[in-house]
Amino acid sequence: MIDLFLTAFVFALFAAGLRKPFIWVLAYVYIDVLAPQKISWFLLQKFPISLLAFGLAFLGWAYADAKSGSHFTFRQMLIVALLLYCGATTITADFPEDALAKWDWVWKALVFAIFLPLTLRTRLRIEATALVMTLTAGAIIIPAGIKTLASGGGYGSLHLLVNDNVGLYEGSILSTVAIAIIPLALWLAKHGTIFRPDWRVKLFAWGLCFACALMPVGTEARTGLVCLAILIAMSLRDVKRRFMYVALISAAGLLTVPFLPASFTHRMETIGDHKADQSAATRLAVWQWTIAFAKDHPFGGGFDAYRQNKLSVELVDTEASGNTTAIETTTVEDKARAYHSAYFEMLGEQGYPGLALWLLLHILGVWQMERIYRRHRRDPDPNAAWIAPLASALQRSQIVYLVGSGFVGIAFQPFCYMIVALQCGLWAWARRHESPRVTALPLRRSRPDATAPPAGVESVA
Amino acid sequence: MIDNFALGLIHLLLGIAVWRLLLRPDLDRDPDEPQKPVAQSPVKPRASPRDRR
Repeated sequence: MIDLFLTAFVFALFAAGLRKPFIWVLAYVYIDVLAPQKISWFLLQKFPISLLAFGLAFLGWAYADAKSGSHFTFRQMLIVALLLYCGATTITADFPEDALAKWDWVWKALVFAIFLPLTLRTRLRIEATALVMTLTAGAIIIPAGIKTLASGGGYGSLHLLVNDNVGLYEGSILSTVAIAIIPLALWLAKHGTIFRPDWRVKLFAWGLCFACALMPVGTEARTGLVCLAILIAMSLRDVKRRFMYVALISAAGLLTVPFLPASFTHRMETIGDHKADQSAATRLAVWQWTIAFAKDHPFGGGFDAYRQNKLSVELVDTEASGNTTAIETTTVEDKARAYHSAYFEMLGEQGYPGLALWLLLHILGVWQMERIYRRHRRDPDPNAAWIAPLASALQRSQIVYLVGSGFVGIAFQPFCYMIVALQCGLWAWARRHESPRVTALPLRRSRPDATAPPAGVESVA
Repeated sequence: MIDNFALGLIHLLLGIAVWRLLLRPDLDRDPDEPQKPVAQSPVKPRASPRDRR
């Protein structure tokens, strides 16, 4: 039944694209985020729907869509450079077969991130993309949130729609992305035009945000809790009554603690004590290995270069009883440990040039969103009231992603590149709509003909 | 059961969203942009004597 339903929905999206080709772009976003072919057991698995959706989206844009307003931004060029660079490191990778397997999905994510901003020519398209991304991620987050409320979840034991550890269906990734979409969901609830803000929209948005905030509890991924704390801290900027906000958040946090499962509180307690926790201690050992590896391989070892690491980790277990403290040290041997950090993933796999490109791409994004925010936050035009909050929401989503990236290897997570693509789209849109005002100003004050009448106006003299 | 409920709800909302998008002309053109791109005149305007100088 689900099989038929999902198949019908996907093909209905394809049919809708015949009337408005941009729907095909949204169809690709939906398929890439939810992976309905993995939920379905039979029909959808028979068609390469992801490829089909991208092909339709590209052809629809190339043949049926107006190109006015499509701009290739500098950050899209950075993604092109990153794509080419990753292609080159894949050819010379230390583990060619594993590298090819990762390249197989990475290039698609990068190509779509280059393509998507070209289609985001209008305000409604930007909003529609944000809406489809948020709702589709909600299809994974909402049931996970309900299950967390009912059973408490657990590390690696929360049953998601797909138990495959791919895409968003991996605990740490889901918990980071869930926190990253909270700002987008709140923006949609306040400035949406597809679903106009009313009590139902707000109720749904707050319910979704609550489910998102439950993801760190449900997946017991410590990364998510750090991301949530960062998001709350960033929200202070726009809150009018900061003292009240801090008091309410603290009270909510304290009230929640007794309801949290014991396994969750135990796991969160290990955030500050990396020496006793094997996962955290191994992580530090991998990072040290990666720094040493990059010294010998400044251009990286290609995708999955971590497979060659061999680590020896010392775990210190301290147990206090009365006045005595027993310290027990055990050495754990480990090998082929993943980076567990996007920064070290980039450094190990793509070397210093790849890491620099990736950092530039993201730091520029934070800066561009800040610029749009500052330019429009006091815009008197009511039609422009959505711009500054969207820039702020996209900036927060990205900062949450960058913080989460510190602990999860999500340097090429397709969902995060969609946020980057939305930023590029908004940046190009804002530049285009600002340009008449900007060009209306004199370029140089000291120009001798600055007082001359504009072109086309005859001088009386 | 929970999965089906969430999938049903989200797909209902996605369906409504797509239906509304199909009816919105501003999906392809911002309201403040001109209806059609300004077509360039095939005949070039004559240059005035002052311009020729």
